[in-house]
Amino acid sequence: MKLPRSPFLISLSLFCFIALSVAPALAQDWRPVDPADLALKAPVVEKDADAEAIFWEVRIDDSKPEELSLKNYIRIKVFNERGRESQSKVDLPYLGYNQIKDIAARVIKPDGTIVELNKDDVFERTIVKLSGVKVKAKSFALPNVEPGAIIEYRWREVVPGGSANHLRLELQREIPIQTVSYYLRPFLGMRYEPFHTGEARFVKDKDGFSKLTMTNLPAFHEEARMPPEDNVRSWVFLFYSEEGKLDPAKYWNDLGKKIYDVAKDEMKVSDEVKSALPAILGDATTPEAKLQRIYDFCRTKIRNVNRDATGLSDDEKKKLRDNKSPANTLKREMGTSSSIDMLFAALAKAAGFDVRLTLSGNRNDMFFDKSLANYYFLGSSFIAVKVGDNWQFYSPAETYTPFGMLGWPEEAQEALVTDSKEPLWVTTPQAGPEKSVERRTGKLTLSDDGTLEGDVSIVYTGHLAAEKKAYNAGDSQTEREDTLRKMIKGRMSTAELSEIKIENITDPLKPFVYSFHVRVPGYAQRTGKRLFLQPAFFQHGGSPLFSTNTRTNDVYFHYAWTEEDDVEINLPAGFSLDNADAPSPFSAGPLSQYNVRIGVSKDGKLLVYNRKFFFGGGLGNNLMQFPASGYDKLKTYFDMLNKEDNHTITLKQGTATASN
Amino acid sequence: MLHRILGFIVLTLLSASAAFAGDEAPAWLQTDAAIKVPAYERDVPAVVLHDEQNVTVNEDGRLTIVKTFAIRILNREGRALAEAAEIYLTDAGKVKDMHAWLIRPNGSVKKYGKDETIDQIEDANDVYNEYRVKVISASNEADAGMVFGYQITSEERPLFNQDIWLFQSHLPTLLSRYTLALPQGWRASSFTFNHSKVEPSTSGSTYTWELHDLAPIEYEPASPRIINLAPRIAINYFPSEGTSSSGSARSFDNWAEVSRWATALHDPQAATDDQITAKARELTANAKTELEKIQAIGHFVQNLQYISIDIGVGRGNGYRPHAASQVLAKAYGDCKDKANLMRALLKAVNITAYPVTIYLGDPTYVREEWASPTQFNHCIVAVHVSDETQSPTIVQHPKLGRLLIFDATDESTPVGDLPDLEQGSLALVVAGDDGALIRMPTTPPESNKVEREANVNLAADGSITATVRERAVGQKAADFRREFRKQSRATYQKMIEGWVTHDVNGAQVSKVEPTDDAAADRFTLDVEFTANSYAQVMQDRLMVFKPAIVARRESLFLTAATRKQPVILAPNAYTETVRVKLPAGFDVDEMPDPVKLNTPFGSYTTTYEVKDDQLVFTRNLTLRATTIPVEQYDQVRNFFARIRAAEQSPVVLAKK
Repeated sequence: MKLPRSPFLISLSLFCFIALSVAPALAQDWRPVDPADLALKAPVVEKDADAEAIFWEVRIDDSKPEELSLKNYIRIKVFNERGRESQSKVDLPYLGYNQIKDIAARVIKPDGTIVELNKDDVFERTIVKLSGVKVKAKSFALPNVEPGAIIEYRWREVVPGGSANHLRLELQREIPIQTVSYYLRPFLGMRYEPFHTGEARFVKDKDGFSKLTMTNLPAFHEEARMPPEDNVRSWVFLFYSEEGKLDPAKYWNDLGKKIYDVAKDEMKVSDEVKSALPAILGDATTPEAKLQRIYDFCRTKIRNVNRDATGLSDDEKKKLRDNKSPANTLKREMGTSSSIDMLFAALAKAAGFDVRLTLSGNRNDMFFDKSLANYYFLGSSFIAVKVGDNWQFYSPAETYTPFGMLGWPEEAQEALVTDSKEPLWVTTPQAGPEKSVERRTGKLTLSDDGTLEGDVSIVYTGHLAAEKKAYNAGDSQTEREDTLRKMIKGRMSTAELSEIKIENITDPLKPFVYSFHVRVPGYAQRTGKRLFLQPAFFQHGGSPLFSTNTRTNDVYFHYAWTEEDDVEINLPAGFSLDNADAPSPFSAGPLSQYNVRIGVSKDGKLLVYNRKFFFGGGLGNNLMQFPASGYDKLKTYFDMLNKEDNHTITLKQGTATASN
Repeated sequence: MLHRILGFIVLTLLSASAAFAGDEAPAWLQTDAAIKVPAYERDVPAVVLHDEQNVTVNEDGRLTIVKTFAIRILNREGRALAEAAEIYLTDAGKVKDMHAWLIRPNGSVKKYGKDETIDQIEDANDVYNEYRVKVISASNEADAGMVFGYQITSEERPLFNQDIWLFQSHLPTLLSRYTLALPQGWRASSFTFNHSKVEPSTSGSTYTWELHDLAPIEYEPASPRIINLAPRIAINYFPSEGTSSSGSARSFDNWAEVSRWATALHDPQAATDDQITAKARELTANAKTELEKIQAIGHFVQNLQYISIDIGVGRGNGYRPHAASQVLAKAYGDCKDKANLMRALLKAVNITAYPVTIYLGDPTYVREEWASPTQFNHCIVAVHVSDETQSPTIVQHPKLGRLLIFDATDESTPVGDLPDLEQGSLALVVAGDDGALIRMPTTPPESNKVEREANVNLAADGSITATVRERAVGQKAADFRREFRKQSRATYQKMIEGWVTHDVNGAQVSKVEPTDDAAADRFTLDVEFTANSYAQVMQDRLMVFKPAIVARRESLFLTAATRKQPVILAPNAYTETVRVKLPAGFDVDEMPDPVKLNTPFGSYTTTYEVKDDQLVFTRNLTLRATTIPVEQYDQVRNFFARIRAAEQSPVVLAKK
């Protein structure tokens, strides 16, 4: 279960986003411009960049309890029209009770001419207001910006009563930066955690400030299937701590004990819980069977009000009071994600199991590392149950996650099992490819004009099903059908779908199923005497997984999966197979395998195609993360998959049947 | 960035909005909610029960506007439609009262008022403008079967005694009504578009226009925009004869009046000074002809940054450009600023030019019969040229002579061409008494053309080495130029790699070299790549490959079986020649039949020829600017279906 952020954190993150997304103020005068910077014709840090920051400075003064001050000073070299367009308009948004002061900006043209921003050209607007909350912005357009020019601007943001606790300092931006510096004058007890900053650390500077500097930072570019942004971007996390020297082991140990104390009351076994148990357990005798009954009960009989499919409106959800205990959740037959997990814990406890609340990182946000001693990084919680000598993990709050699995963001993560005396760390298990299967079948007929028509079904299990259910649950039937149509027509634009059935969308127990009738004019290509047919119907028109030649970030898959296809195609009268050779199998050891069989019925009228592919096997608890340096191999592997999926067989008019 | 922040903030604030106690809907909404609605197709998200605007004109010209609206949500897609929004100008109007109600099927009601009203900027792109919007959203609470309604009262000091009423959007509408209550003795007249004439009912000096039971208008690709499908009226109203309104608003009897009014706003701003003169001389120092001077100045102005800062819009400043000297000094401006600066720079080298106001978005939107500046949303320029200057974008004006039309805001369309959404549109040349509404020029398909040449070496193992050169002109070049300029070099490279690898499995792209020659209105792209297994080798005797090696960069559409609206095609042309060097030891066993399609709206041909171990494949597509009636949909659909089939057809080689 993903832990909700407190309102405090939400407002703080809004503040941080606004405060640091734009930036500074400070010195009385502009710093001298290096003629070499003015003469610069090409970017220093990143080839082909449109603009590049020569320096980007933020001076954070948190030494006064009455205010937090952030002074920003940015100097940017513009190289081309795109750079001019993206950099010459500046918006400085801020919360209504904050202040933006001391804005100054100027442009140094390539010939050295300086054009200052007129004070009258700074506009203040209330961006949005509601119920007394205001967000404002100061905006300006820099005059006379042209390729080759340097622009610079500075400002100061003052946050009355603000604190730098939990502030995120972004080091990588949308443009490359030659030198980025953060100056920090903290209140007592400030600590920081750097991410991807290399050797860069805060060092003592003047006037009570410390300074962290990095040089030659490329712009941050998103790529498909990359690890979470916080795992690849350079940034620093600021936080306050009362302790003089922070020992992560001790920190987590103390936290594990505190959380245990709080959680034991939340999972209290009351008489109501005890009396409900026998009916829930039924005839289950083994520990696994008992836990599954409890798990499925919590998913099917208790409505999760945090889910779209509850049928409750936002107003109705707002009116719901918090459940005070598992008994309360049991009685109301609905609850939040947290109260459902706690009900599961209470029932399991009542059934005699040792049960603990467990905390872990959330891979959707960031890969957790327990050397980071701050609860901020623990994004998920679930329930650990001791079965024999092992801890097993459950989160029935994840309505669509099957028994025995956690949601993928919690898999393969270090998890803190709370305890009154000795909390312990365990690594959560990761489901193999056999747990998340996309099983597709098609019974189709090919016409002699190349049209393919027939009935199709697609069945999803495991993480694949959970994602499909979560995506579709809140949609109307029309939206769900549109989603399916887009999926099919995205590969085969002429496909016509009818008799669509989508089953088990909100059923926690059954697989997610699509079934439909499809007609695809022009599926096979006709020449004078042949028909060319791609038997891999479910891959027809698909692109290779990776299209670009180069890669900056590692490649990361959320979870392992399997694809199984069974396609039968009735061949048109008067045609017979000219060739039906099958693609060759290939594999990457236990990680992945591809196998295809193509056969034909004895009368030569039916083509049978079976395909099985899986990816992510044999990894144990290792993440499916592949270094960018090995991108070529990975791309080649998936290119091969695409090539074999595009394998075509030939039907010839009026010849004898061939068979494999 | 403000867009992202705005979205985030609104979401956060809305999620914090308060819950409600039991409320009551007003009588009018209860009546609307009781209306039995007809059955619609299941993808119709909602039906408008009641859409009404009551405009009361005061003697001083100020307006009091009451909007009343009710909608029944028919399915979950309709939830987003449970929203009230009112745009206002801070210096010329205010929203006095805004309330909304959501009625559930069980009759319970939620009322929305001031505490649930978001007041936000209307356009986050501008550095500054005075438009704001108040929004009440019930989309999080709404669901199928519910009725959402709102009533908004606002006041406005209009610039013109003119108004527009669109009777519906895409949604079916049961009642749509516009009422204009004028002071005693005033009168109104109207024009109806996209519908037979809607006559108002009158009571004293109150006029009411009304339509009932309007069917839904389905969205379809390449169809006319909603503004040209939905019925709408345009209204003029006038003070009683012999008197004049104490307000400053006005209406227009003809386009010359509009021209005179706009000229008074534009001309003083186009004054030249020493800086403008010096800049004009600098820009045209090497220009030998009139056209070269226009090109030099046009190129300079269109490459100034587009930045819009509108202050005093309610006082007409939205129609008045900033002074040319100011725009030159800051090197930025919006469309009217750029057109105005270009006029001033041309004037400095003794070339006369006029502003042209136009509607950007649909060339068929502007209607001649209603003289009104509110029909336009963009400003371009018309340059008076002598017979010496020749260009496809020259039009003949009855009084002003030969005018070269140019959009100084579109950075991708050089002098001599015009953005396709402006071609053929009616636009107003702003030239005092001589101003007139004229039709903008259109360019033929051949002027908007892509020519592609591909040379492919096919090896006996099915691998290929290929070079592709695309040369585009006209609006096709503008499309490619826009695509290139709007993305970083790295993103552009990835886009081209994705285009190639979509059709050529495992392609290794070794060269992506775009060359933008904007002055010559040409954009060239050179691509080189290799692929290990382009052709499929079968049983060591056959080799099969598609000669249409990479797809066109725009997709062919119109696959739906049925159609409700006409199809609009833009003029363009495409030609491709692919030369495939065949591997030694193979003969061509089968080639697709050539295709030749000829229709009134377009033509398409393919040819295949083998000569000296080389296969030459050509394809040519020409689409003419046409609006195809819905009755002929099958014809246009089949046209594109046959093209798709032809381009998938393989060539079969057999071992000798």
